[in-house]
Amino acid sequence: MSPGLRQRLAAILAIAWREATVLRHDRGFVSMIVAQPIIMLLLYGYGLSNTPANVPWAVLDRSQTAPSRRLVREIERSGYFLPPTTIASYDQGHDLLRRGRALAVLVVPPSFRRDLQDGQPRVQLLLDGSDPLSAARVGGYIAQIAHAFGAGPRTREAPLPDTWTAGPIALRQRFAFNPRLADRDFFLATLVGMLLTNLCFSASSLGIVGERETGSYEQTLALPVSAIEIVLGKLLPLVALSYLLFAGTLLAQGLLFDFWPRGSLVALLLLTLPFVLASLAIGVFVSSLAHTSAQAVFITVFFIMPSFVLSGIMFPYEFMPDAIRPIGGLLPLRWYQIALRRLYVRGGDLADVLLPMAAMLAIFGVLLLAIRWQLRPRLG
Amino acid sequence: MSWQRLRTLLRREARASLRDPFTIGILVAVPLLAMILFGYVLSTEVRGLRLAVLDRDASAASRRLLADIRATGAFRIVPVRSRGDIERGLVDGRIGGGLVVPPGFGRDLARGRIPEVLAIYDGAEAVLAGNAEAWLRAIVAATGATLATDGPLPPRGSPAVVTSALFNPTLDGVPFMVSGTFGFVLSFLAVLITAVAIVNERLAGTFEQLQVTPATTLEILLGKLLPMGAIFAIDIALMMLAAGLLLGVWPAAHAFFFWSVSALYVLTTLAMGLIFSATSATAAEAVQKTVLFSIPIVQLSGFAFPIRNMPLPLQWVAECLPATHYIRFSRAVYLRGAGPLELWPELLVLALFGALQVGVALRTMATRA
Repeated sequence: MSPGLRQRLAAILAIAWREATVLRHDRGFVSMIVAQPIIMLLLYGYGLSNTPANVPWAVLDRSQTAPSRRLVREIERSGYFLPPTTIASYDQGHDLLRRGRALAVLVVPPSFRRDLQDGQPRVQLLLDGSDPLSAARVGGYIAQIAHAFGAGPRTREAPLPDTWTAGPIALRQRFAFNPRLADRDFFLATLVGMLLTNLCFSASSLGIVGERETGSYEQTLALPVSAIEIVLGKLLPLVALSYLLFAGTLLAQGLLFDFWPRGSLVALLLLTLPFVLASLAIGVFVSSLAHTSAQAVFITVFFIMPSFVLSGIMFPYEFMPDAIRPIGGLLPLRWYQIALRRLYVRGGDLADVLLPMAAMLAIFGVLLLAIRWQLRPRLG
Repeated sequence: MSWQRLRTLLRREARASLRDPFTIGILVAVPLLAMILFGYVLSTEVRGLRLAVLDRDASAASRRLLADIRATGAFRIVPVRSRGDIERGLVDGRIGGGLVVPPGFGRDLARGRIPEVLAIYDGAEAVLAGNAEAWLRAIVAATGATLATDGPLPPRGSPAVVTSALFNPTLDGVPFMVSGTFGFVLSFLAVLITAVAIVNERLAGTFEQLQVTPATTLEILLGKLLPMGAIFAIDIALMMLAAGLLLGVWPAAHAFFFWSVSALYVLTTLAMGLIFSATSATAAEAVQKTVLFSIPIVQLSGFAFPIRNMPLPLQWVAECLPATHYIRFSRAVYLRGAGPLELWPELLVLALFGALQVGVALRTMATRA
């Protein structure tokens, strides 16, 4: 190792040490780092789900016969629904939908039993379109139950089995990697990406601007080190902290929810480094644009919000319009979430995540150049 | 409290803001950005999902089924040659699902036996899989019914479900997200902006300077908060325009009613911002606090996840958040065209919680002053 390089490394480490000490004493920062993962884990682990449950619905049964009551009972027994409200008119149904007291209204015509014997039965379903995601799924479930209804007693035993007898074709279905289709797994797989994004963006952006405001950045500039060495020294403890957060989240998810990564752990650890570096670099870049911490906050939010929305950690990016989908590719979180799902849920290994890793490294490289240009030594 | 002093403070604030185009720009741009972003991202429609199909039958009936699946536009069919191809495609994410049509599919159908089609979804993308499942079930059921009636079998007599969605016939996700975004902006972004602005003022020392003038703490804070509230009220109108002009979503009815209630809800926003800023020493701390508390609030408020899907204790927590009631109100007006007559219980709860929050904020301020 040449003396020049050793000196540089020593300078970076010295700055890293100083930075770690500062962070350790920042109580607000430390408490956020501890509290946020706990809150998010509990929310995603226990609370939030897109799978319809406790669906309020109403029945306008104009037939009042044994088969119509059986149909209602079968829908109720599927497990998605609350006991139905019985109503006497369409107006009442519309009113319930309008007030949000029912998501679906099932209308059974007076001739239902006769139609059933003739082989042409029909029921009507009114859905509350103001909750489209739930409405679409509930509509699908009810249609399915109705189709199975005519198929005889075979499907009546087990509510919602793997096999749906859809009229004359049985549809057996399997959800690979997530048999019960738990939304929980969808969120937990990428929770660490969300937490790391928050940590990296806010720590690095607010840190540097804050220092500029108090003047300690200028003091550091007076040291015999280059701007890029300062930046690297500042990032080092944050990288360490990120890995700590990563390990903590991984363990907590495993112990609390028995949700362990199915794929290669080594690949997960390797993958996290370019992501953390790229996210920190975004934070630093943001802070080099801002003059006050208020500005840094606003610009950071400008980056965090699209990151969460466009990356696909909350909403599948496949849903997005074609014009918007590629924009997400500029965000490290998009690539990290793709890779996380492959490693965590689908049991992939290093070879499956090489492309996302390369993409994140490329983003990091570009940002580093931009930061270097922004932070060229100048006072004022 | 003197109106004259307050007026002077307001004039000062207006002048100071006009000299700071960055902050004004942020105040207007961030809510609009949020509106456009969220408006586009959520859709219930499955479009062009790559479905690997292993057709072991290759008969007229199986081709009919595949054609029906393709015709909806929900799935893009990728023919594969083995089960292994499907499994591999799922791991590396190239396909979103797979379908296996068994050999003898057409023959079984013709003879009145029930053939079993296997569908495999990528459970890692739970939201997508859940929607795709509902779609595919419906398509298979419909095709099955047609194929059976075309064939020698008598109709099996399972009830056809004629579905119509009120308020949003195509089950379009855009209006759902648009109406929720008002809640997101007012319960999170605007709170953040308020908190940071107040802390910054304190750090810059302007508060201390103002405190040596005859103005009281309440007047100073109102002088800061009222212009901000006014800007947020304008933001709401701009967001309504952006949603209408860019995303084609207007309130189903009562646009002015919506704007007025939202403008009043801004008071809760300002109160939250005040609470976070009063308890923080630096801008960074205020941000951390806001993010820590507001993100769970937004998640629990029904913005993205229906509250009824949560476990009961969380539902109770959600009911205690003003954001929940505001978002419920916003959806009701925007999508269902509900008016004051239908919504008065919700508005009452909103007003109660809002008053409570403003009260807490004023107390916090009084103790800190």
